[in-house]
Amino acid sequence: MEITLKLTQLDPSVRARLAVLLRMTKTRTRLCLGILALFASAFVAQAAETIPPKPDRYFNDYAGVVSSGAAQRFNEQLAQFERETSDQVLVVVYHTMQSDSSIDDYTRRVAQAWGVGQKNQRNGVVLFVFVDDRKMFIQVGYGLEGALPDFTAFDITERHIKPLFRNQDYEGGIATGIDLICKAIRGEYKGSGKTTRESGSSQNNPAGLLVFFFVLVIILLAMRASRRFGGYRYTGGGGPFVSGNWGSGGGWSSSSSGGGFSGFSGGGGSFGGGGAGSSW
Amino acid sequence: MNKGLIGCLGIGAIILFVVLVGGCAVAGSYNRLVGLQQKVDQSWAQVQNVYQRRADLIPNLVNTVQGAANFEKSTLTEVTNARASVGRVQIDPNHAPTDAAKLQEFQQAQGQLSNALSRLLVVSERYPELRATQNFQNLQAQLEGTENRISVERGNFNSAVQEYNVAVRTFPTNLFAGMFGFQPRPFFEAQAGAEKPPTVNFNFGSPAPAATAAPTP
Repeated sequence: MEITLKLTQLDPSVRARLAVLLRMTKTRTRLCLGILALFASAFVAQAAETIPPKPDRYFNDYAGVVSSGAAQRFNEQLAQFERETSDQVLVVVYHTMQSDSSIDDYTRRVAQAWGVGQKNQRNGVVLFVFVDDRKMFIQVGYGLEGALPDFTAFDITERHIKPLFRNQDYEGGIATGIDLICKAIRGEYKGSGKTTRESGSSQNNPAGLLVFFFVLVIILLAMRASRRFGGYRYTGGGGPFVSGNWGSGGGWSSSSSGGGFSGFSGGGGSFGGGGAGSSW
Repeated sequence: MNKGLIGCLGIGAIILFVVLVGGCAVAGSYNRLVGLQQKVDQSWAQVQNVYQRRADLIPNLVNTVQGAANFEKSTLTEVTNARASVGRVQIDPNHAPTDAAKLQEFQQAQGQLSNALSRLLVVSERYPELRATQNFQNLQAQLEGTENRISVERGNFNSAVQEYNVAVRTFPTNLFAGMFGFQPRPFFEAQAGAEKPPTVNFNFGSPAPAATAAPTP
């Protein structure tokens, strides 16, 4: 609703000017102006909300309030937590919230878009901190709502993190938050000893494999048919070569300690609106 | 061979082929409709789940608030009555409603409870000692969380119903959908007047307790 209001507020003066311009110019220029206007309006409309891009690590400080040593420590702590429990816990610190919606609604959609947590267990938790807005929120995935219910999340943000944030101790506040969140949800699920990125499992492999086998069968049938009519032999030398390629193809997605840090890959978990937050 | 016989067989084979292909297509569409209907029922069950969760929080909330000295009785009774009327609405939690009027009735009852609850929370602003208690703050966090869950599940339900309705209404599925008993389903609509905040009438007859609470640090 707000977006259309902005445009109609622009319209009266712009419309008058456009009318004068249009009377003087040719059709081609009118077309260019029209396209320009479309682009301009699209730009205005998009400014209402942005879903930030999926982060690459478990601990992401886009506001620069935590030292790099602590950031590294937090990242490893959370990566290790995923190895042990399969729960994906993320911490993201931004300057401000890029949305006109409420914090619980916006952060849920962001967490859902990032697919934090394993797909079947839905065990993702994201701690959002907006430093300039002085607001934070813990989003809890469906699978962890029992272990980390709303009043526990509220207790963590209000009574443990908030006092430290009030004193500008962001590092201490975040450390406390991470420890308490992990303590609450540990034991709910078992980990596999590897993070999602390390195990290199991607959901589209099975479908790709099926397509590959299908294509292989068609090629083999076509070869057999051509042999019957063409009369020359073709050994199945193409088979092992192609399947070998696929085997290495599965391995390229795992990067683990590429740049000296443990990377995060979303498992496809979903969020139902559980969690709580505070402002300081 | 008799050319006429071969011709008849040929036409017969073509007709059979067309019927088989048509049959498979219909079966495929039917299965898809069944799947979508299941999804709708599943989302409905989730919606009922989160509404029930809210209803379960009410007694706890009423007890906590009653403990506060001289809390507005009218607000409390309003919440209790709204919760009771929600319980009275006969609705099947396992199957999404097929009747728009039934869904409207359900939505209205829940809306009444929502209004009563928000009035309660607004009135509690006048009782700082109550708001300072951990119990009340926890309950407030839980209620807010439940309201979030309700809007999420209603959104999911609406998308499931939209998907199903589109499948039922598009050509050529709509030709036989009615025959098999697949009707378009109603979904949650924004209540008229939802954009206006609930009115709060403060009962100035009984004065609020003298607030000598220390300012929060």
